[in-house]
Amino acid sequence: MSDTTVDQLLPGATEVAFSEIEPTLARLTRDSGGHKRLPGRALTATVVVVGPSARLIEAAQALEGLGERAGVRAILIAEGTLTSPPVRVTEHTIAILGLAPQYVDNAVAALRLSSLPAAVWWRGGSPEALTELADLADRMVLDTDNPDEVWSTAESLFEQTAVTDLRWTRLTRWRSLLASLFDVPQVREAIPRLKQLTITARDIPCARLFAGWLVSALGPAGWEVHISPGTDDGQLLLESIQLSSGDQTIAVRARRTCMEASIEKPRSCTRVVPLTDVKLATWIGEELAVRARDLAFEAALRAARQLPV
Amino acid sequence: MAQQAGHEGNPLLDGLRIEPTPGPTTLVIFGASGDLTRRKLLPALYQLSRGQRLPARFNVIGVARSAMSDDEFRESMHASLKEFAGVQKPDDVSQALARSMSYLAGEMDDPALYRQICEKVSGADGDGVLFYLAIPPTVYGTVIDQLGTAGLMKAASSGWRRVIVEKPFGTDLGSARELNAKMHRHMDESQIFRIDHYLGKETVQNLLVFRFANGMFEPIWNRRYIDHVQITAAETVGVERRASYYEGAGALRDMVQNHLMQVLTLVAMEPPIAFSAENVRDRKHDALAAIQPLVGNSANGNGEGSADSANVIRAQYSGGWLSGSEVPAYRKEDGVDPQSVTETYVALRVHLDSWRWAGVPFYIRTGKRLPKRTTEIAIQFRKPPLHIFKRASPTPIASNLLIVNVQPDEGISVRFEAKLPGTRMQLAPVMMNFRYGSAFGRAVPEAYETLLLDAMLGDATLFARHDFVEASWALITPVHEAWKASRVGEIPAYEAGEWGPKEADEMMAADGRRWRTL
Repeated sequence: MSDTTVDQLLPGATEVAFSEIEPTLARLTRDSGGHKRLPGRALTATVVVVGPSARLIEAAQALEGLGERAGVRAILIAEGTLTSPPVRVTEHTIAILGLAPQYVDNAVAALRLSSLPAAVWWRGGSPEALTELADLADRMVLDTDNPDEVWSTAESLFEQTAVTDLRWTRLTRWRSLLASLFDVPQVREAIPRLKQLTITARDIPCARLFAGWLVSALGPAGWEVHISPGTDDGQLLLESIQLSSGDQTIAVRARRTCMEASIEKPRSCTRVVPLTDVKLATWIGEELAVRARDLAFEAALRAARQLPV
Repeated sequence: MAQQAGHEGNPLLDGLRIEPTPGPTTLVIFGASGDLTRRKLLPALYQLSRGQRLPARFNVIGVARSAMSDDEFRESMHASLKEFAGVQKPDDVSQALARSMSYLAGEMDDPALYRQICEKVSGADGDGVLFYLAIPPTVYGTVIDQLGTAGLMKAASSGWRRVIVEKPFGTDLGSARELNAKMHRHMDESQIFRIDHYLGKETVQNLLVFRFANGMFEPIWNRRYIDHVQITAAETVGVERRASYYEGAGALRDMVQNHLMQVLTLVAMEPPIAFSAENVRDRKHDALAAIQPLVGNSANGNGEGSADSANVIRAQYSGGWLSGSEVPAYRKEDGVDPQSVTETYVALRVHLDSWRWAGVPFYIRTGKRLPKRTTEIAIQFRKPPLHIFKRASPTPIASNLLIVNVQPDEGISVRFEAKLPGTRMQLAPVMMNFRYGSAFGRAVPEAYETLLLDAMLGDATLFARHDFVEASWALITPVHEAWKASRVGEIPAYEAGEWGPKEADEMMAADGRRWRTL
């Protein structure tokens, strides 16, 4: 890892030996004199982030933003080949750079806060480390660019820990908007006939996950699923969803500043909600608030993996 | 709160992590041009809409006497959002909400008005209709009768009809019973949501979680470990623009009968067997029913019985100095009778006849023009049986305190003794604080958001049931009758900016206790 990357990861951090991490954190907390915002927050969890260094920088910034809302101890780990890797710490964050994958779980076991939940935010790395970490994590949040490999491993972890994917988090608003249309009796009556699903998406895995959810929730048989790449270069992973039968069309679309859910026929109604905050800190913050196993995600992932790519 | 969403059978809600939204709903606001609608209801609807908590099919029908077009009503919503929700100009959400709004003008006793409402809501068979009575209490009966006569409280097919009633619910036991009876002639109790915005406050709800989701507090939540409880609701404001209402109400009706009795019962109730509206409300009612009469043989109001047996102290603020400026006496406020004996302060000593609380007094005080705006519940524990540090640290140890701050700084604090660092054994009380604002750093919803949503979802946990309201009035009404019978032309005074009258301090002193310094 280059010196530039190291400096970007935790600007102003203190370099310490692994065995000196806890005393250093205690000293930094004491010396802050309460003038920083983080000591005022109740520490609620440990968040372990594993991934390539560039993605750790982004995660570190997100967790810094999260510090506005919740106090967490962050452990950032970049995999490498070292058995005695360099360690950098700030008041509530620890960065371990270049640690051999087989020791990732040992490092986490030593550093996680006792008696509080631990979440692993998986941004990429070796599958064996992922599997080992599942024993230490109350929650596993997957967040990789190309999820196919990690999704296949994830299925085997469902019985071990509560697994989710950050794409799933980002779909929550889409799911809830679409679900709200199903509160309308005429839509519920049309469920057996709703078999045509068209999704336009900037992120195809996200669209597959959404389709997997619908298929698993509404019944698996007879679906015509069309997923096409979107043209919008915004931050939303999906652009539009249309679900139709012969006599019924319902849709959710992203607009410039809002999202719109509509029943287009036969009796139309529209619901508009604002676009949510799309910061990474918001998404991971939402995940850290959840501790239970997510059976809907598990079913959606299984169904998504069976959809033709 | 307990979830009873109006969307059973929606297969897409399984595992959806967002909180449930109600099924299709029409909200009919009586008093749509009034202050409550502008200050609280419309901002709450906007925030619920932003948070995606309103149903896909949602309509608002504003009803009031003032003539107004639909567009003018919508404009008034934008103005309200600007003033009370910080929405400087209409955005996507407020515009969408505005499109769902319409307005009907009419007299509350005119059957034609209700026929128009019927026409408007009849197009949505299967939807829920929530009537919000944001109107003066004197008109409740009229509107309830008209709603019933027009058949508006009977839902077609799978829909529902509910009504939210604002406080005050009656002015005494007789009027509360009469209003309950009138409502029950036209609707079931399950359709009635008597709102008490204190119950929508996060810390008040957290009391249930604190007591019943933690194993370590409940075993000591009783007469063996608790010395007494103090509940304080202090306001710095005077009567403001509410003189006409307040003159007839006073602090006992305005605060104690509803808000503070609700808070007291949440502290005193036994554990419910489940977190459901009926279970929680059953246990709260039990606690209320256990309260000894406030007036009687040994428990009289001011002027009756000796000072040390008086369980109710009333007083009125005189002129004084508060928050950096002089403030007038209550009797000199606009709209107040110069000879008024309406109480602006009341303090009570409450005893419960229960195994848990026998011998543990609950002290309640509330007043206007007090030095600070604060609402808190303080549980004071008994001291240890032996002070083994007496020789090394002669200062008496302070009792353990558990303080639930309801407002403004919502949270929970525990006071305990600790050793001061050093070679000597010196003790000092320290506070361990949990604050919602700093611990979670996320916005706490306004009480009206929580309560409106709960009513749409059909969850009555945070609303007062008829028997609670009547039991509460049954406690309070004899106090008013005793005051009336005493025909005392004067009322004890306290200086604005001070913590109430000396009589309240004497009530505590008679028990060997004192009010907490806040």
